[in-house]
Amino acid sequence: MALSKEELKAAILEKAKTAPKPQLYIKDFYACDPDAKPRDVKNIANDLVKEGKMMFWSSGSTTMYAMPDRIKNEETRHE
Amino acid sequence: MPKHDTPMLDELEKGPWPSFVTDIKRQAAQSPQCWDILGQLELSFKDKITHWKHGGIVGVFGYGGGIVGRYSDVPKQFPGVAHFHTVRLAQPSGMYYSTKKMRAICDLWQKYGSGMTNMHGSTGDLVLLGTTTDQLEPMFYEMTHDLNQDLGGSGSNLRTPSCCLGMSRCEWSCYDTQALCHFLTMHYQDEIHRPAFPYKFKFKFSGCPNDCVAAIARSDFAVIGTWKDDIRIDQAAVKGYMKGDFKANAGAHSGRDWGKFNIQTEVVDLCPTGCMWMEGETLKIDNANCTRCMHCINVMPRALRPGVETGATICVGAKAPILDGAQFATMTIPFMKIDAESEYSDVVDAIEKIWDWWMEVGKNRERVGETIQRVGLPTFLTVMGVDILPQHIREPRSNPYVFWKEEEVEGGWTRDVKEFRKRNAQ
Ligand code: SF4
Ligand code: SF4
Repeated sequence: MALSKEELKAAILEKAKTAPKPQLYIKDFYACDPDAKPRDVKNIANDLVKEGKMMFWSSGSTTMYAMPDRIKNEETRHE
Repeated sequence: MPKHDTPMLDELEKGPWPSFVTDIKRQAAQSPQCWDILGQLELSFKDKITHWKHGGIVGVFGYGGGIVGRYSDVPKQFPGVAHFHTVRLAQPSGMYYSTKKMRAICDLWQKYGSGMTNMHGSTGDLVLLGTTTDQLEPMFYEMTHDLNQDLGGSGSNLRTPSCCLGMSRCEWSCYDTQALCHFLTMHYQDEIHRPAFPYKFKFKFSGCPNDCVAAIARSDFAVIGTWKDDIRIDQAAVKGYMKGDFKANAGAHSGRDWGKFNIQTEVVDLCPTGCMWMEGETLKIDNANCTRCMHCINVMPRALRPGVETGATICVGAKAPILDGAQFATMTIPFMKIDAESEYSDVVDAIEKIWDWWMEVGKNRERVGETIQRVGLPTFLTVMGVDILPQHIREPRSNPYVFWKEEEVEGGWTRDVKEFRKRNAQ
């Protein structure tokens, strides 16, 4: 059974909070609900960015997702 | 910002061609941070390593692409380029824009960035080089509200679709490349502006096999115009070329004397499939064996034209040499009608079949061409629902085994194990 939208959001946030690396690929979230379609997982991850709960991190060629408080430290490395 | 000594870069101004070093020096008169680009590049030449760090969280609100973070790893030495982000603007279909628009974009960039541009980037975008994070939101506001201009794609997004100028100027265009490019750009706005895939994905549209946007070399999904029926021949014009009434290649390559035009050596003998011949002064083509290479049409444009039953070939999976070396896209769907009436539903179906499969099966940072290489073309063609043709086969098979699918075997895979054991009791 696929998770509801809210359950999937919570599972994605949990994964982003606890994963060893601060930045995650979209595919890393597929395991949050193996029954969900990859495009639905992508849409929900992007919704979380719109809500300000996650952020995009981009190398220019690839884009990854991260929790704002985990990635800020990364960003200030550049300063 | 002071000028730096750049003896190695200065050498690049001495050749016969225009030099980017001269351009950047000229721009530095207005935007002093440009001296630091030259200083950092000179240091990179000396150290034989780049001093740019890629990546970051820069962007504008609501967008997950179009802006690429760039940071110097020697910011104390070159503070003007400590942050030097790139902004990609979506180019218009066929890259037509007015000088008014171009001036407005340059003025915008002089105000919010270094004033340096790169037109066009390899995806096609108008690329604006060098700004700081605090300038991004005001620049984006002015660009969208006053210039009616949008950002392009970057990262794991659909990249800004690009097309040749097609039917707007080119009589060889087998479909309206600009219309299809524009339609898909609007249809997939979400995929362009926000990451959607395991890695980048590019569409490119060429109106004929001359492939002026290099779709076959540079895009994951290449739509290349072609025709199904026969090349149209005007035999009187063929004779005209033979007599020298018309210049071969419409006068291109005329910088040197190639001697009198010879249809046999310059056209017939160069046909890659050997499907052309002369009967007296009449040119004959065995169209079933023509690969639509365009050579004969390019040489004698007054005499030969693509057929009238036109559409496109879909090739999938080109990429640059990041992992396993560069590769061309593979011919996947030999002929598709490009039908605006149905809102290009066949093209959209093919794209979404690829995306659904690749998002599931593709690895992180794996272009769809690499996924196809990894799982094999037959698997990909099955996903696409395409019947396998001789043209899909690159080389004779080297694997002696034949693998059957369940539906090809009478009774499928199900069997009665007890029955089997009875007959094969040990
Ligand atoms: S790709 Fe073909 S149709 Fe398009 S501009 Fe080039 S020659 Fe013309
Ligand atoms: S288009 Fe190319 S393959 Fe076809 S007839 Fe002309 S030269 Fe031969």
